[in-house]
Amino acid sequence: MKQFLGKQVHLPFVGPVTLWLIMFVGGPLVLIVYFSVLTPGPLGTILRTPTLENYLFLLRGAVGRVLLRTLLFASGTNMICLLIGYPLAYWIVKYGGRWKTTLLLLIVIPSWTAYLIRIYSIKSILGYNGFLNQALLSLGLISSPLELLYSVPAVMSGLVYTWLPFMVLPIYAALDGLDPSLLEAAEDLGASPLQRFSTVTLPLTKGGIIAGTILVFIPALGDWIVPLLLGGGKVLMAGSYVQMYFVGAANIPRGSSLATALTAVVLLMLYLGIKFGGEEALERII
Amino acid sequence: MKPSNRTGIMGRIVARVLLALGYVFIWAPVIVLVLFSFSRNKFGLWWEGFTLQWYAELLTNAKVGQALQTSLIVAAVAVVVSTALGTLAAYGLYKYRFRGKKAVRIGLLLPIVMPPVVIGAALLAFFSKVIRIPLGYPSILIAHISFSVPLATFVILGRMARIDWSLEEASADLGADTLTTWRKIIVPLLLPGIIASAALIFPWSFDDVTVTFFVAGTGTMTLPLYIFSRIRAGPSPIINAIGMIFVALPTIGLVLWTMLQSRVSGKKR
Amino acid sequence: MENRESMPCLELREVVKRFPGLIAVNHVSLKVETGKVFTLLGPSGCGKTTTLRLVAGLETLDEGDVLIDGKVVNDVPPYKRDCSTIFQTLALFPHMTVEQNIAYGLERRKVPRSEIRKRVGEMLELVELPGMEKRRPNQLSGGQRQRVALARSLVLKPKILLLDEPLASLDRKLRKEMQVELKRIQREVGITFLYVTHDQKEALAVSDTIAVMREGKLEQVGVPQEIYETPRTKFIADFMGAANILSGKVIASGHGKVQLETEGGLRIIALENRNRGGKVIAGISVHPELIELLPLDAGLEGENRFKGRIIEMIYQGDFIETKISLAPAGVLITAHVPSRLQTVTQFSPGEEVLVHWSPSSSNILLE
Repeated sequence: MKQFLGKQVHLPFVGPVTLWLIMFVGGPLVLIVYFSVLTPGPLGTILRTPTLENYLFLLRGAVGRVLLRTLLFASGTNMICLLIGYPLAYWIVKYGGRWKTTLLLLIVIPSWTAYLIRIYSIKSILGYNGFLNQALLSLGLISSPLELLYSVPAVMSGLVYTWLPFMVLPIYAALDGLDPSLLEAAEDLGASPLQRFSTVTLPLTKGGIIAGTILVFIPALGDWIVPLLLGGGKVLMAGSYVQMYFVGAANIPRGSSLATALTAVVLLMLYLGIKFGGEEALERII
Repeated sequence: MKPSNRTGIMGRIVARVLLALGYVFIWAPVIVLVLFSFSRNKFGLWWEGFTLQWYAELLTNAKVGQALQTSLIVAAVAVVVSTALGTLAAYGLYKYRFRGKKAVRIGLLLPIVMPPVVIGAALLAFFSKVIRIPLGYPSILIAHISFSVPLATFVILGRMARIDWSLEEASADLGADTLTTWRKIIVPLLLPGIIASAALIFPWSFDDVTVTFFVAGTGTMTLPLYIFSRIRAGPSPIINAIGMIFVALPTIGLVLWTMLQSRVSGKKR
Repeated sequence: MENRESMPCLELREVVKRFPGLIAVNHVSLKVETGKVFTLLGPSGCGKTTTLRLVAGLETLDEGDVLIDGKVVNDVPPYKRDCSTIFQTLALFPHMTVEQNIAYGLERRKVPRSEIRKRVGEMLELVELPGMEKRRPNQLSGGQRQRVALARSLVLKPKILLLDEPLASLDRKLRKEMQVELKRIQREVGITFLYVTHDQKEALAVSDTIAVMREGKLEQVGVPQEIYETPRTKFIADFMGAANILSGKVIASGHGKVQLETEGGLRIIALENRNRGGKVIAGISVHPELIELLPLDAGLEGENRFKGRIIEMIYQGDFIETKISLAPAGVLITAHVPSRLQTVTQFSPGEEVLVHWSPSSSNILLE
């Protein structure tokens, strides 16, 4: 590895990307934070009057509760994905044998359907005239269709369904990379199967769990399409409000404050993640 | 290969059942989707007749064609620009030490890790209030590239560690200038990484709706945006048909790939 | 007769282990005495590691019995058998410190904390790694990791320590050092070792008894001296790096001797080997030290006298490694000529000489 300390040889390589990032990522994000402390004007304009009104609005009222609810939804989704995803990955790695990769792909392939379409397919199954209701009706189990959509469970199912593969993949990678002789050594030293799992497997797959969490929690936090399609207007998440404020109501400052709040949560999550899992967790995402 | 016991076997059976259920749940919506793409009715339980009319409509629908074209162009451009910038960046990050290296790495992480809502909103504000970039192809491209470049950089960076860099030195030693070395040695060596990042970026870009929604404006429509507008209008089997194609294409590709692999390894024996 | 002491610590009786398509361990029987180092030596794939794993309980056997201290342990799970395994990859837990690694087995047995701390400290002293408690495996050198693996197993005071090519990943110098270390620790603790290796020099250095394995069967069991100086079969002679292996068939026998003829037409005399177990004599080997070089005029009459030409002489300090090509076959023989002798005889490359060894020096190779 060449080291040209002092000379700017690296500039032509790293330069373009850095410039781009500053202009089109850093800039806009700073802008948002800036806007979040300004006052909204008529017709989507922004007045240069500094105010904390937008943040205060967040703390009280319906919108404030939404942020909290969004956090709960995202954590819940994360938990469920973990509870379903870890055993799935574990089983495939341990018992998959020759079919390991195929089994893994079978989990991943449905996620190749476009994001929107998968949500649509859930909608069409759970809908009033949807597949599930029709099936239950014809089996005589219910007399009139159930209102399954536009509810919290519907939104949660949508979130879990969408993001599950992203939890499975990093955990699978972590489990697959586990050295089996470590487990044999543990057994040789007297550990029961449960102890082997808790003292060896789990700590060593920590990185995968953290990577999975980052891949699930953060998108779930900002998701507004699932609440829109599966929740109607009845179940809203933070992302929904951001979208509404930015595009619908043209109230950029207020939307910005929400966006900034979300960003702050994400940065906090990342900080915690790195503290507990180290940077290798982030590498694993790739 | 340890001695098995009764609870072990019971546990295995329960586990297998639960797992099968898991797979069923994952695949059920997809299967329903695919089945109904061939059905005459818009909703309901069973087929009311096999039909390919929805696929036919797909082919004739101008808007779909337009949206598809837009998505393909955006994705293609995103891939090209991102892998180019990303390769350069990865090279710089891998080979050199410089001040601010850590900052660059964190900066690269940011677009991937931020919720897409935030990025979309921020870019919208940016484009409409600060730099008057028209909302359409330009803004969409910028948004997509902003997300893809970090992906490409990290994937290629990962590849860099496995390359024998003495080949680059040998090339220079034999008299090749930087450009030639890049063209003939470095890029071919990095090709697997470049392909891998293209394989990640293309589907992501093609599929994205969350960010694209914010920056697309009214005139331009990508395929996901088109699907989105259709869904909001009400159920429509055309969407099923599109979904079916989305599933079928990679699956067929995968099957062909595995068949190719086994044939190659079969021949080697 | 003290019955206790004459009972072998470990015994295998007609043990068989099959895998799809091959018999990895084919009716192996052996006895390991308490406090000794018993080595399974052989090329990769010969079944030595599988045998070790059968003793450890990490594999289940198909036929036969494994007895530890006279008790059959076939169905006993690994951690209930009184043995501990050192894996080839060492398998140190990367996410635990040295202390936590060593303490692992003790914690599983619910030994109280204070006791654990004491015993870990004692172990670190034994393996000469004092003060390393808080380090992690990735901060240790290869040799240090070895010692931690040893400590981790020994702290549990097992009856038998099973070592699966433990020094394979070390470089040559370190390997020699660790061989000495292992012997020292073994003597100090008095524990029985079942050692597996493919390195014949290592086996010779470390073992009290060597069992050479080939394709799932034991070919020869004996003390290192036996295996080295009188290998029983061509395979073993070749494996141990014997210099002079001459293949041939018996053409005559009588008066307690046999005569073999090699492909090149050499007629070699050896002492009759009654203990052949039904196998065929396939040749002989001779140790370089036992070959005599004489001037041509000493005469060709007598047993095992051959004419040859010196091809090469390489000074090795105490002796001169001399390569001779024998007529008529062109067979290459290596002799170690003592340097003192060379000052008198003054042989030189290209010279014709007489090569001789006594029939008792011909080591019969079977099969």
